[in-house]
Amino acid sequence: MSDTLSIFSTDLRSFIPRSLERPGPPEPAWTDEEFNELARRLFRLQYQGLPVYREFCDRRDRSPDRIGSWTEIPAVPTTAFKDLEMTALPEAERVAEFHSSGTTGVRPSRHFHSRESLALYEASLEPWFHRNFLQLPQSSTPGNRFLALTPSPAAAPRSSLVHMLGRVVSRWGSPDSRFAGRVGTDGWELELDTVVAVLRRAEEAGQPLTLLGTAFNFVHLLDHLAASHLRFDLGAGSRVMETGGYKGRSRVVPREELHSQVERALGVPRERLVTEYGMSELSSQAYDTGSGFRFPPWARAQIIHPETGREVADGETGIVRILDLANVWSAMAVETGDLGVRQGAWFSLAGRAQAVEPRGCSLMTA
Amino acid sequence: MELPNLFLADLGPALELSPGTLRDACFAVRRNRQEWLLQQRTRAVVEMIAHTAEGWLEPGNGFRERALRDGPAETGYGAPTLARGLDAFFRQLTVENLEALVVQDLGDVRRLDEFSSSAAEMRSGRMSIANGPELLVHLTAGTLPNPALFSMVLGLLTRSAQVVKCPQRASLIPRLFAHSLAATESKLGASLELVSWSHGSRQAVELEEALFQEAHCVTATGGDAMIADVRTRIRPPTRLVAYGHRLSFAFVARESLTHYSVRRLVRGAAEDITAWNQLGCLSPHVIYVEEETEGGAARFAEELAGELARREAADPRGELPVETSAQIASRRSAYEMRAAAAAALLERSRTGTLFADTTGGVRVWASEGSTAWTVVLEGDPRFKTSCLNRFVYVMPVRQFDDVLRFAEPVRHQVSTVAVAASDDRLPVLARRLARWGASRVCPLGRMQDPPAGWRHDGRPALGDLVTWTDLES
Repeated sequence: MSDTLSIFSTDLRSFIPRSLERPGPPEPAWTDEEFNELARRLFRLQYQGLPVYREFCDRRDRSPDRIGSWTEIPAVPTTAFKDLEMTALPEAERVAEFHSSGTTGVRPSRHFHSRESLALYEASLEPWFHRNFLQLPQSSTPGNRFLALTPSPAAAPRSSLVHMLGRVVSRWGSPDSRFAGRVGTDGWELELDTVVAVLRRAEEAGQPLTLLGTAFNFVHLLDHLAASHLRFDLGAGSRVMETGGYKGRSRVVPREELHSQVERALGVPRERLVTEYGMSELSSQAYDTGSGFRFPPWARAQIIHPETGREVADGETGIVRILDLANVWSAMAVETGDLGVRQGAWFSLAGRAQAVEPRGCSLMTA
Repeated sequence: MELPNLFLADLGPALELSPGTLRDACFAVRRNRQEWLLQQRTRAVVEMIAHTAEGWLEPGNGFRERALRDGPAETGYGAPTLARGLDAFFRQLTVENLEALVVQDLGDVRRLDEFSSSAAEMRSGRMSIANGPELLVHLTAGTLPNPALFSMVLGLLTRSAQVVKCPQRASLIPRLFAHSLAATESKLGASLELVSWSHGSRQAVELEEALFQEAHCVTATGGDAMIADVRTRIRPPTRLVAYGHRLSFAFVARESLTHYSVRRLVRGAAEDITAWNQLGCLSPHVIYVEEETEGGAARFAEELAGELARREAADPRGELPVETSAQIASRRSAYEMRAAAAAALLERSRTGTLFADTTGGVRVWASEGSTAWTVVLEGDPRFKTSCLNRFVYVMPVRQFDDVLRFAEPVRHQVSTVAVAASDDRLPVLARRLARWGASRVCPLGRMQDPPAGWRHDGRPALGDLVTWTDLES
């Protein structure tokens, strides 16, 4: 029987738990051979299944028979998810559609999902979230009390982040976990009274609380707490997961400063603050627990020099390119508009390529 | 060549500037102006400027050599690009051109020297004299050196004491020019002061406030946010002459695209794209090509790509900060994807459906292994700003009217439109562009080479600096 995306997905789901049993980076031999085989297999399937992608690869003279390593697989720019339907899913099978957040009036990226691809999405997000966030030292409290600062999955069905949070809350959350955001006329807003009430209750009860949200969610919260002269000292075992990106929704606070403000205003120590890096175009996420971002073994980030198109040396800056094996029905190799600094097997973020030169690109409509 | 410490900016970042130091410097240049510059006649000043400019055009000139040696590191332009831009600028600074500028803006070459009359004024018994500001402050932008240099020339013509504020790390060429003026005549240099800091810092605000209090007129060149900020901080009677962000494009009419002329037009376009690496307000973002049947714009784009590749060998663009080259690389990938999609759509693929507005043909020509140059044939002719540094859009249009329609969103920012059209049609198109709002229409190949008499953003650059005294009898 010939290989299909479904068969690949099944195989990947068995690879995921196996890959997590092996030692992680900086071991260089980290599942390299098997990763490479899976990547080349998926490349062949996507090359066959997506005519636009095939054309893109042919123009770069990269076809499945001509490449030996996953690093040679052509990466599609995230703009392709805006301009095109970057999917191998027939319309009838699509049950969800994740959009990128962004400036009003700009067409968002769209990532289509079927039941099968959503199941894989969840199989990918859960173990890595658990390993990087829930397994932080001294936090093995059963029934995590989550406070998500985003709208609920019902209110924001097109946000991949909210979908992910919905999944982890239903999987690991206590019954009184909640979402405290709403979709306002001007984007996401915080239900500040609810948030403050939850924080107060957690502080009084001395029970650990797990806060989840975007950087701008936290900026809104911190601004409110500062304006109301409120400070909390959340109980031991409390945690914060923040995910990057402002997209014009609040003032931009450098990450270090945001973390110290969170530490001061909520009493959550720095080492219990984790940053997530994800996007609607991907199906896996990277986490930074203090030493840089790291994707799970079924996804890899490369930092590419914009001039040469080759991976940069350690410590240098380039464009973040991600190969995500869980992007089975779309395109697994994605070139983001983000700049990153390579740090061995990890990377840190260094801004966005699109935003650095407003003079040149502010009127770009594509 | 080592420069003596004539100006505050020569002392480098080690110097802690204070508002007091600046006020002292303003006092000194005003005194020197009063004692010497103000007594000079236009002819004498013009000759000194022209003499200095001639020097810059000589290959062995020390200032020129220093600019070409150290300029690339500070400005990011390669030496050939820098040499070409500076040569084009200094060639304009002749006695004839500078006097013509005075006549053009002020009506008579004697206007800055003595009371004089035009024919009409004479009939009504009036005479008038133009006075330059006592102290003229220039806030210059760092992208291109020429505007800062020309601001200094204008200030000399108006016999003003001048303080030129350069951005941090963009003072070398203005300083070299000021030193070369001082070498021609030390008293010219004595009426000039150059300082350098980055706009926006807390210390910068304090220093600028000190300058604004002393200045009688301020010229400001820069981004819209910087201009808006300066506008709120300058109070009457100090006058502000502001030059905000502008952009430019080109139009190639169908009748000019003959087999014979296309090479010349392509060379001109490449000249405009490589001049100052396309970073000036007068550099083209888009080249609109008028075509009756499909293919004219594509042929033009392909020829242009070939010409840019040849230029790169002789006059390389130079290195860019990674953020900037990442932007070019990302934009290229986006268009390569769209080009692939357009091609795949032609094959009537079932998946990968395009949105309606991206169905126009897209093709990309790009330097290999670098971001040195990029030509994108963009079938969607809505105006788009390029990421510059030798990245240009070629867009097909059916007729000239389409250009005005598609560029409407940027209409009020447009400076120069290069037009290649027949002799019959050019006046008609130029008139329409004038009414539409463009302030300059020029041939391809000349966009970044405006004449000395250029009306900057459609305003008389010299005329805007002076105030008049009328004598009625």
